Amino acid sequence: MTPKPVKGTRRLTRLALLTAIALTIFMAEAQLPPPIPVPGVKLGLANIVTLYTVFALGPGDALLMLTARVFLGAVFAGQMMTLLYSGLGGLFAWCAMVGLRKVFPPKKLWLCSPIAAVFHNLGQLLAAAAVLRSWAVMAYLPYLLLAGLAAGLLTGLAAQFLLERLKQIPMQ
Amino acid sequence: MKAHAKIGLLALLALALMALAAVLLLRSQGGSGTVARISLDGKVVAELDLSAVEGRWETTFTGRSGLSNLVAAENGKIWVEEADCPDQICVKQGPAGAAPVICLPNKLIIEIVEGGDGLDAQAG
Repeated sequence: MTPKPVKGTRRLTRLALLTAIALTIFMAEAQLPPPIPVPGVKLGLANIVTLYTVFALGPGDALLMLTARVFLGAVFAGQMMTLLYSGLGGLFAWCAMVGLRKVFPPKKLWLCSPIAAVFHNLGQLLAAAAVLRSWAVMAYLPYLLLAGLAAGLLTGLAAQFLLERLKQIPMQ
Repeated sequence: MKAHAKIGLLALLALALMALAAVLLLRSQGGSGTVARISLDGKVVAELDLSAVEGRWETTFTGRSGLSNLVAAENGKIWVEEADCPDQICVKQGPAGAAPVICLPNKLIIEIVEGGDGLDAQAG
């Protein structure tokens, strides 16, 4: 189902484009005030691109794109600390997607997304617990889970639509 | 793949319900102790018996990053009054209760605990 990634400039351009889109969404979303006063709760709209990339181009390319976006996002947002939280969260979510991709077909992308979002929040909380050197942050787990499941569903549906529509455009 | 999708959906619903239950449970318990423990960067810097606070108690905690939080306590509650961290989430969180008040950029945690070490307050 996943087309073999074309090596070379074409692949680079494609990934760079996706990274730029994800980064723009990320920066735009960062300008919005946090809807809920819980650290780490956000819509995570940039992940629409990540989800799409995992199913359209494969998890390897998606990881490259995600790493670039997370790093650049932390640099542009002016806070390198967020790199830890987004980084571990993103890594957990990516691992989840690698596994989920084997179990669910592309049509069920919308279902994979909330699960990956849960893993993302887990990664974030673990990173926060390490930084703060306290397990107190875990008190936020239920709140993050609820928000993550909801946001994950939202981004999952968006990514699902994206996947369906972009199928008609040859990506090679 | 129909079976997988059903299991996945059920698992998500179960997770959502459990999270909801946990949230409601936490809210009802509301932090049973009366001692507020304030830690900065992983080290406890102050413990305050909220029931023993007369009037208003205010202290500014400055973290290694140079950011500071103005913590206030009154009437058995403790919260972050002002902060110069970029997201202001700690200020918006209100009083610490079931969930601790956390300022992530400043690594400040205010949690309600039982008992504590009997210290009134300790300048770090």
